[in-house]
Amino acid sequence: MLSRRTLIAALAMGALVAFGGAANADARQDAARAFIATLADTAMATVAVKDISDDERNRRFRTLFVDSFDLPEIGKLVLGRYWRIATPPQQREFLRLFEDIQVLTWAKRFKDYSGETLDIVAVHPDGELNVSVDSLIRRRKLDPIAVTWLVRKAGESFRVLDIKVEGASMAFTHRSEYTSVIQSSGGQVEGLLTAMRRKIGQMEADQSAAAR
Amino acid sequence: MTAFIPRSAARVAASVLAFALIAGCATPPPADDQEAVAEWQQINDPLEPTNRAIFEFNQAVDKALLKPLAQGYRAAVPQFGRDRVRDFLNNLRAPIVFANDVLQGQPDRAVQTAMRFAFNTGFGIAGLFDIAGEGGIPFHDEDFGQTFAVWGVPDGPYLVLPILGPSNPRDTTGLAAEWLADPVNIWWDNTDKEWAIWTRTGVAGIDKRERFLDSLDEIERTSLDFYAAVRSLYRQRRDAEIRNDTVVDKVPAASISAAEESGQESH
Repeated sequence: MLSRRTLIAALAMGALVAFGGAANADARQDAARAFIATLADTAMATVAVKDISDDERNRRFRTLFVDSFDLPEIGKLVLGRYWRIATPPQQREFLRLFEDIQVLTWAKRFKDYSGETLDIVAVHPDGELNVSVDSLIRRRKLDPIAVTWLVRKAGESFRVLDIKVEGASMAFTHRSEYTSVIQSSGGQVEGLLTAMRRKIGQMEADQSAAAR
Repeated sequence: MTAFIPRSAARVAASVLAFALIAGCATPPPADDQEAVAEWQQINDPLEPTNRAIFEFNQAVDKALLKPLAQGYRAAVPQFGRDRVRDFLNNLRAPIVFANDVLQGQPDRAVQTAMRFAFNTGFGIAGLFDIAGEGGIPFHDEDFGQTFAVWGVPDGPYLVLPILGPSNPRDTTGLAAEWLADPVNIWWDNTDKEWAIWTRTGVAGIDKRERFLDSLDEIERTSLDFYAAVRSLYRQRRDAEIRNDTVVDKVPAASISAAEESGQESH
């Protein structure tokens, strides 16, 4: 039979474990919130500034992007079943081209920046490892945009896995789009890489045309 | 009440159908390739060749007509005027939104819609000013397609409608139901004001296109396959709308209007 003292000790232990777990989850959520807030501040202070060249803006965004996004994981997510079909050189090439497209996509958006601010409205755990950070991008006069950041703990910090804009996942959209490109080139990953190279060429030309 | 369906619409529908039969269907993958079959089911676009042809047609009409109209509207009418147009159109939708709130079993939202309609029609000068929204009852949209979804009707394969754009059988049925059941349209039709129905439809189209000017340009600029990107985004966006998981549903009204105020101050 359990003595009264053992019972109390066991209960206290249980409470401690449960409470400790909750406290850990809370700490993880607070850290995730801080990570997204810092990411937004850094982007505003380094990439969204007005008096730098396009090349410099691209370079700064690339640094920030590579440091704070889990590119290999996103690449696997986006390529889906074709990640396994792709050869290792194709996988590396894909990640490189994907990074270039994202840099050219987001550098322009930050160049057009006009006073938007990011407010974090809610943070909740998403499975064992991930945390969802709900934010609102507030714009002048226009309705705010709801953006959810899916982040995963990576060592001391976090890495972004996906961004959902008004409920639409970036990774899911890219996946559906890239699958379609691969299918139209007869299931060949090479067809996607060709299309990506062409797109990068086009976006670079647009960027330098706009700079002139 | 069907008087405002013109014969030309039937003719367009017939030629689109004929066109669809020529363009044909996509080829499904072999049944033994399970991953490919799963992908095929997820993409759920058996009419892809036809849909792509209609998408290109829509793109051409958009570049030649709709986009320039929306750009002209943005350039000619200041934000204040566009907001009044938007508020007026939203208020006209109130009966449809109310009906769908009720049909979806959402009495709270139905009451919100009814209160908004009463306030805005009265104090907001026939709906030109969204008084209720500023008072903390924001506009939310509903349509029959969303109601069917709440009732468990699946969306069915992806469809691109001429001019109207991305859809599916469920949402197309919803659109037709709305067109026929809208009390405002029925009233205008019965009082021989068909011009009002067409004006409303046209203005609502331009208002919607103006709202999407920047985002559609961005998607086209950055996508490898614009058609596939729009298909995916349409479905995800629809899912969020059905779950009432959009920004106006999630965020308390006070914080939206606070943002608008701070935006105006800094301007």
